[in-house]
Amino acid sequence: MSTLWQAVGAEWGKLWSVRSTWWCLAGALVLMVLSAITLGGATATEALRDGGAGVRLTAGEPVVSATSFVQFAMVAAAMLVITSEYASGSIRVTLQATPARGVVLAAKALVVGPVMFAAGVVSGAVAAASVYVVLSADVFGGLVVMPIGEVVPDLLGAGVFLALVSVMTVGVGAAMRSAAGTLTAVFMLLMGLPLLLLMTGAPVALDASMRLPTFAGLAFMGSTDNLTGGPIPYSAGEGLAWLLAWTAAALATGFAVLRRRDA
Amino acid sequence: MISLKNLSKRYGDRFAVDDLSLDLKPGAVTGFLGPNGAGKSTTMRLVLGLDRPTSGTALIGGVPYRKIRNPLRTVGALLDARALHPGRSGHAHLAALARSNGIARRRVAEVLEAVGMAGAARRRAGALSLGMSQRLGIAAALLGDPEVLMFDEPVNGLDPDGVRWVRGLMRSLADEGRTVFVSSHLMSEMQLTADHLVVIGKGRLIMDAPLADVIAGSSLTAVLVRTPHAGDLAVRLRAAGIAVDRLGENELEATGAAVERVGDVAYEAGIRLHELRTREASLEQAYQELTSHSVEYGAGRAGA
Repeated sequence: MSTLWQAVGAEWGKLWSVRSTWWCLAGALVLMVLSAITLGGATATEALRDGGAGVRLTAGEPVVSATSFVQFAMVAAAMLVITSEYASGSIRVTLQATPARGVVLAAKALVVGPVMFAAGVVSGAVAAASVYVVLSADVFGGLVVMPIGEVVPDLLGAGVFLALVSVMTVGVGAAMRSAAGTLTAVFMLLMGLPLLLLMTGAPVALDASMRLPTFAGLAFMGSTDNLTGGPIPYSAGEGLAWLLAWTAAALATGFAVLRRRDA
Repeated sequence: MISLKNLSKRYGDRFAVDDLSLDLKPGAVTGFLGPNGAGKSTTMRLVLGLDRPTSGTALIGGVPYRKIRNPLRTVGALLDARALHPGRSGHAHLAALARSNGIARRRVAEVLEAVGMAGAARRRAGALSLGMSQRLGIAAALLGDPEVLMFDEPVNGLDPDGVRWVRGLMRSLADEGRTVFVSSHLMSEMQLTADHLVVIGKGRLIMDAPLADVIAGSSLTAVLVRTPHAGDLAVRLRAAGIAVDRLGENELEATGAAVERVGDVAYEAGIRLHELRTREASLEQAYQELTSHSVEYGAGRAGA
């Protein structure tokens, strides 16, 4: 056990000793705030045009929607945790220090997960506050509200979603090894594939796309919209289960490759 | 301390390491020689558990590397000095390694000091020269105060002072009773540093012997004799089973026998000698002879 915690300590140190981590997280914060304000503004504007009666926009909702964009900043940071080691060859130094492949992968996941959770919650909180301040302006009709009991679960949900997507990326990175390959694979899984499936319009494809991490995440975060106006056909709990399954599958794939292939 | 048994590694249908068996002893510098592509780096990666052998075993103190707890405290290795995140400082790099193996944090400053990198420890690794990267890599190898040290081409990119420093370091590590395993292309360097040599070619063991034996065994190591009776002595030496070349009117070159034996033959024959001396082959010559048949990527001899 202590081998794992030593490895976690090493990964923690490595994560914060390169600038790319700081840039990615700063990017995530900016992206979160800007996209949440934009999405919230769009919702409010649309509601006002439709009369605005009875519409209530919580500051947490745009944050949940914004995770669709912000996730890629997290993906970049998480990806670099493993692909930068293959790019520089320092993975061999890492595996010399910690020869158990599973421990190395677990340590990276255990660092990336909580860090991205915290980054998601904090940037989400800043974004929610910004949304509240900006959308309180008269032009948006004062539709925005900040019910803490609803916003806090939204922020925590966003944090969990971003953490899981990041850990998934670590698994994909261990399997792909290169940054280009990892980014392509993760982008296809998170964006390309669900959109392609939606575009086919076939009920079976639609059903399948709802099980992919993006929609599973939206369901988990309490969103009911599947982007085509239809509902996501299952509960938040089931969404989390799908998300965990994808993350576990990515980690298992990464572990299998890490264990089997020469470093 | 390091024990390879029938170690093989195959890539496709080509053996990078082919049935290699050897034992590396503590308290000595073992030089690891072979042409490019002979399998030196692959062997080191196999020992470190980075690559999986196709067959055979590589054990350190009787245990495979992957089973060693906190392995940096047992084996320190420098494979590729450039294998560093270019944006991370040397200090942060070593600090992470120390943490991963439960090594006291003060060791980081100690080894940085020991390799003369204390002043550049906070610089990004990407901004270091190759020589400084080598020093940092050596610092990483020393971090856990290990019993076994492995260096792949450690003097690459070092200036003459650095080369001399590495030579002294290897020597003192071995004198402290550690097992030191060093690969190099620089024969003159190996001749100065190594006690023992392991030579491989095309993945196979060519020689595993003390440096002195390798040099003595070379056909270029010869006994030179100057005598007014060169013709007579040549006959006597050949009769005693010693190969002789006549170099000139009064000069002979005897190979395959020690200088004492040549002197004894002359004495028994009552032949006057004006000069009797050994000409030692350089390690480079001995090495060329050993590997001439197994140079993987040799340029070929002109006119051959």
